[in-house]
Amino acid sequence: MSINRRRLLQGLTLGALSAKLPFADPMYGEAQAASAQRPVSANDRIRVGVIGPGSRGQELIRQFLKVPDVEIATVCDVYPPRFAEVEELVGKKVPGVTDYRELIDRKDIDVIVIATPPVFHAAYSIAAMESGRPVYCEKTTGFTPEENRSVVDAVERTGQIYQVGHQNRYASWFHEAIERIWRGEIGEPTHLYGYYHRTDNWRRTVPDRRLEHLFNWRLYQESSGGLFEELGSHMIDVANWLFKVDQPLAVMGTTSIVLDHDGRTVGDNVQAILDYPRGRRMFFSSITDNAFVGNSYWIYGNHGTVQITDQDATFYGQHRKTVTAASHDNAVNPTLKVGATYATDTEMPYRGPGDRIHQRKGEIPTLTACRSFIECVRVKEQPFAGVTPGFGSGMTCAIGKTAVREARQIAIPQLHDV
Amino acid sequence: MVKTTAYSEHGPGRRIFDFDPGNPTIGMIALAAAPPDAATGLYSSIHPAMGTEYTLYLYARSCEEAEAAARLAFDEVDRIEDLLSHYRDGSELSRINNEAGSHEVTTDPEVFRFLESAFAWSERSHGAFDMTVGTLMKTWGFFNARGAVAAGAVQSGAVQSGAVPSGVVPSDAALREVRCQVGWEKVQLDPQRRTVRFLSAGMELDPGGIGKGYAVDRAVRVLSKAGVRAALVSAGSSSVYALGAPPGMPGWKIQIPDPGNEGAVISEVLLRDTSLSTANRSQKYFIEDGHLYGSIMDPRTLRPCEGVLQTCAIAASALDSDVLSNALFVLGAEDSACWLEELPQFSALIVSATALRHRAIRWPSSVAGMNRAKLSDYEED
Repeated sequence: MSINRRRLLQGLTLGALSAKLPFADPMYGEAQAASAQRPVSANDRIRVGVIGPGSRGQELIRQFLKVPDVEIATVCDVYPPRFAEVEELVGKKVPGVTDYRELIDRKDIDVIVIATPPVFHAAYSIAAMESGRPVYCEKTTGFTPEENRSVVDAVERTGQIYQVGHQNRYASWFHEAIERIWRGEIGEPTHLYGYYHRTDNWRRTVPDRRLEHLFNWRLYQESSGGLFEELGSHMIDVANWLFKVDQPLAVMGTTSIVLDHDGRTVGDNVQAILDYPRGRRMFFSSITDNAFVGNSYWIYGNHGTVQITDQDATFYGQHRKTVTAASHDNAVNPTLKVGATYATDTEMPYRGPGDRIHQRKGEIPTLTACRSFIECVRVKEQPFAGVTPGFGSGMTCAIGKTAVREARQIAIPQLHDV
Repeated sequence: MVKTTAYSEHGPGRRIFDFDPGNPTIGMIALAAAPPDAATGLYSSIHPAMGTEYTLYLYARSCEEAEAAARLAFDEVDRIEDLLSHYRDGSELSRINNEAGSHEVTTDPEVFRFLESAFAWSERSHGAFDMTVGTLMKTWGFFNARGAVAAGAVQSGAVQSGAVPSGVVPSDAALREVRCQVGWEKVQLDPQRRTVRFLSAGMELDPGGIGKGYAVDRAVRVLSKAGVRAALVSAGSSSVYALGAPPGMPGWKIQIPDPGNEGAVISEVLLRDTSLSTANRSQKYFIEDGHLYGSIMDPRTLRPCEGVLQTCAIAASALDSDVLSNALFVLGAEDSACWLEELPQFSALIVSATALRHRAIRWPSSVAGMNRAKLSDYEED
């Protein structure tokens, strides 16, 4: 396998490779038909079955259809109007079933995509893998601690490919930012503050009151871990990646309903602190009535700061009074480095520019994630966002939603201890 | 955040939305509202998207109901912008622009259908409408312009928001170079595999002249599915779609301003379940050596169109009317009239720059009420 292909499988995309490769990554180009060398089905097309083609499931379908030689073979949903929506999206009739076992029993499916509410993720993932199919499952890996462990066991037992829907791991600017942090550009990264602030209270209009829990499953504890699980899981995954651990050590938090007293049983805001080895911390905040800070990661190091958003990453340095000089040349022709220009060394909030890493054209992390999954299936490699990261965020959420609900600190079982 | 405003005290026919007459970008079409009935009220919401403002007028039973509908419609507009904006690095159109010059790009069915529609119009219009002007637009400095006020335009006295600071008249050599990067026939679409391939390197698709119309259509579709029966969706007022009609009215009344006489109205039409789009030379432009260069390019000459001030087209879909208004602008009045003889389902009103002549082709209403002092200059068709 070429190093380029391997790096793609690891989630590194063209953007992250651009500094190392002369121009285009031939691996990334569709003209490269090397993947056809290891077909997973006789006609060399990968046939996808989708369980849960709601809003997120349909977005995944849209992205999978941008990957060459992929087709949507069957969808499964308990809400039949979804079938017509899928038909419009795909542009042709797609068989629809209402029982996931019926989809899994079909012989004309090569891989299974799961985008149901998370309470079903583990059961469906395990059934799919035991049927011999690779799985792309939206986050979180499991709803309970036991479920997260059981998905890890199923991957080990079946040897199947499993990818969790943490698409940030397929964003070039996340890769570049984290690699630069690892190279020491902001010193020692000590804190990650993750803000997921928005003006969306999650409530969906329900065509029939009997469908309230089906449409608004995110609002009820029995089917949702609330903001901590639905939004925080992505940020926890980035913290795990940044701090090079499988999961944090402990979590504490709190939640409340401040405005949306509409019968929901999960909070409309949440704050949590997660402990990482060597005293490092992640702080997570999500509110639903103000989007001033939006969805942003702030990674603080003792020599600088990085902000990462859905579209870019920006480095800010802090002045150091004494630095190592490479030579006397710097005295007459100083070489600009991060920290020299974008400095934040007063007690006023910094409002100046930074050193920005842009999103590359046409690069949607979810598309890259879907493309990488298909490549993993063809070459039989575990994905970069595989079951270990899935367990890391999933277990943290399974524990953390209890911690924030009960406003206490709870230790998080480690992957190799449970 | 959707901001919804209720209109409850205006009388029949009162103008509820006065576009800024000093801003031709949004001054193309003015809406005259109908009275609400007892059960419903008229609400409006504004949402910034695609470098302009989308406006939604609809009749609903409450502000909350109107707001919910507006959120659905504007979410759809945002989704289309994410898909088709060439100003967004993450859009599917940017991905195609970035990659289709070097290899086939598989795209999703919706984008493929959109491109098929666009290139069908290119063929139908014999190249008058052509999405492949992306590189050409950049050559003339019309990329990243986004309607910013130009210092040069201020100095020249043409202080209008359509003036662009980056406009530049390219050399003949530069235009010869860009020639091979323009031309819809240089784009290969494979419907079996849903792939897009540019047969010439350096080509770029520009959604101008079709993207806003498509977004309007999609927003209308979402509103219809949500049960909205009377609404008007406007993309910066250059493309509007009238869904149903206001209570007790035969349609939504749309006023077409006179491009040669600020504040005057050239025509009024009633729209119901149909769309109207307009193109105007002053939507985006720059002035050099006293000459105004508009952003609507003639893909055949590689130069901004001359000779037309404003076009309006009425069609069943906003995509079609958007494309038509631009193609007519490129073709000019005479050629447009010939061309539209083959297309009886469309109506058009074209105002030429020369002596403010206009040509109305199956236009559904009179031009009475326009600048009467200059009526003799107009030529009925």
